[in-house]
Amino acid sequence: MKVAYYKGCLASLSAKELDISTQALAPKVGLELEELDAVTCCGAGDIHEAEPDYYLHLNARILAYAEATGSDTLMTVCNVCTLNLRQANLILQNDDDVRARVNENLEAVGAPPYSGGVDVKHLLWLIAEGDGFERLKQAAHKGLKGLKVAPFYGCQILRPSKLLGFEDPDRPHSLEAIILACGGEPIDYPAKIKCCGFPIIQAREETALGELIQPLEQASEAGADAIVTPCPLCHLSLDAWQSKLKATTGKDFQMPILHLSQLIGVAAGLEASELKFRRHVVSVKPVDEKLQV
Amino acid sequence: MQVGLKIWRYDSRSGDRKLAEYEVDAPEWACLLDVLDIIKDKHDGTLAFRKSCRMMICGSCGMRMDGRAVLACKERMQPIAESGHVPVISAMGNLPIVKDLVVDMGPFWDKIRAVKPWLDPGYDEIAEKERIVSQQQMNAIQKESLCIMCGCCVSECNSMESDPAFLGPAALAKGFRFVGDPREGQQVERLVELNGEHGIWDCTRCYFCNERCPKGVDPRDAIAKLGAESIKEGIDHDMGAKHAKWFVRSAMTTGWLRETELVPKTQGIVSAIKQTGFALGLAVKGKVPPPFPPHVADKVGEARGLYELVKRQGRRGAAGIIQGERALSRLEFGEEHGARRDSPEITPGEEPPAAGH
Repeated sequence: MKVAYYKGCLASLSAKELDISTQALAPKVGLELEELDAVTCCGAGDIHEAEPDYYLHLNARILAYAEATGSDTLMTVCNVCTLNLRQANLILQNDDDVRARVNENLEAVGAPPYSGGVDVKHLLWLIAEGDGFERLKQAAHKGLKGLKVAPFYGCQILRPSKLLGFEDPDRPHSLEAIILACGGEPIDYPAKIKCCGFPIIQAREETALGELIQPLEQASEAGADAIVTPCPLCHLSLDAWQSKLKATTGKDFQMPILHLSQLIGVAAGLEASELKFRRHVVSVKPVDEKLQV
Repeated sequence: MQVGLKIWRYDSRSGDRKLAEYEVDAPEWACLLDVLDIIKDKHDGTLAFRKSCRMMICGSCGMRMDGRAVLACKERMQPIAESGHVPVISAMGNLPIVKDLVVDMGPFWDKIRAVKPWLDPGYDEIAEKERIVSQQQMNAIQKESLCIMCGCCVSECNSMESDPAFLGPAALAKGFRFVGDPREGQQVERLVELNGEHGIWDCTRCYFCNERCPKGVDPRDAIAKLGAESIKEGIDHDMGAKHAKWFVRSAMTTGWLRETELVPKTQGIVSAIKQTGFALGLAVKGKVPPPFPPHVADKVGEARGLYELVKRQGRRGAAGIIQGERALSRLEFGEEHGARRDSPEITPGEEPPAAGH
């Protein structure tokens, strides 16, 4: 299946390991990625809040370049990109007047217009059901040896469900299905659908850390060996800000945090150079050791 | 039909807490509130819960079913009873429990009062003629006007759980209901107040409020509208506003987020220097990408051109979000609801006569 691939800011910058592991995993699960070179940031919710009309135009431009590849699917690897692009897409697809004005502006600056023919889907959705799930099961031949994995969904792949709608936002199942298919043991805990605090981690650090501690504490208590998340922003706060929790609360979780593509990548036998665990702040070594037994 | 419920009973005076199980016979049309009434009438008169209108407009019967905040009068029980599931009913979150399913709404009303929930037209003398406001203009605050103040959004707010002083989704949605009102005269003053420490920029964008609201208010979107109006008015002293503006700057200069510069641009240079130790820890793992040479998107001139173009087209601020609501309401409620806002009596762009004329 050929898809236009929108990697977003973090996978291009501080979370390069997400892009590298996604590109290495894609052919194994039957995805042919066409990278988009001329696209920009989706605005991460920040441009939606600061300059919402500009947000709509930037996302329309991304969708237009995705449509120009000839694919009907734009694949994302980040919750925030998923919500921002889907929201703009649904507005553009369901209001001819809005789309006409946006297209006039796109053409005025030399960008292609958007006709509404693209669907935005996260990598998770492409491999959690249907043909993608069948290919995932075949690809995950090395397994995870019963590794206890706590799924952390994050917010903007579940809510608001009227814009996302892949699964029940209160009882999601897709990450659990993937963990099981890869030979791991999913760990259940209440905070798996709550917020990691990342959007306000710079402006309101204390409030954000009060949110961040919940999944780490609950997953630790439930005996998880690692947390897996489909969102690089959740990854960054769960991984990089653990040290701040240690400094402020004295709790040192040492919880390895994996990107979705890395977890499946391990089960599919990707090389260390493709998984790039060395780029993580919290060491992934305990996971490595457990898998080598 | 037989309906089973597990209810968290609680008495704030004694501190006693227990999960009580009930099974009752209820008619097939029963909603959760009907089942609670049957329990109270026929099985256990000590059960406490609030109710009034029974038709989703008074906002009294907010409570949790299986952890989700709902209006008890809106939840049909037949499919749940037929599936054999026995749901757990408990009081709403983020508010102190008085007894069983009754919470103390005091902190909720304090925050509603804090946003001055009344119109302040900014003049003392009453105009000689009535002031006509067009349907088009009132549509700007249509969603926020739907709020019934049930507290379902507040119950699940992740930021408020961490910072109880956060004004929260209901009060901020009420705030936009007045900031966006064409008759209001104190928009800027209101925005300045809502930009305080526990205001707009405390929102963590978990979207639980939009998910839970039984009336389609979408409080998170109202908070974004307040942010957009603040930045349009130049009220951008809060770190949250600076953070948001840096994304705009990044998109129009390099296309991608200028990630390493985000901390000093949000927190200021002094705070950023204090974070040096933390930043170095990230830098050794490649988590602090060097700002030079910048990672620039192809054809980024188009992104800059769009910024220059759209900022002159009169849709800055909340208007940029409101323009998408017709499409999204079509999705949510079907074509009929969206079409209503297109009806012939609405004349786009119609301006009301000024007050006093």
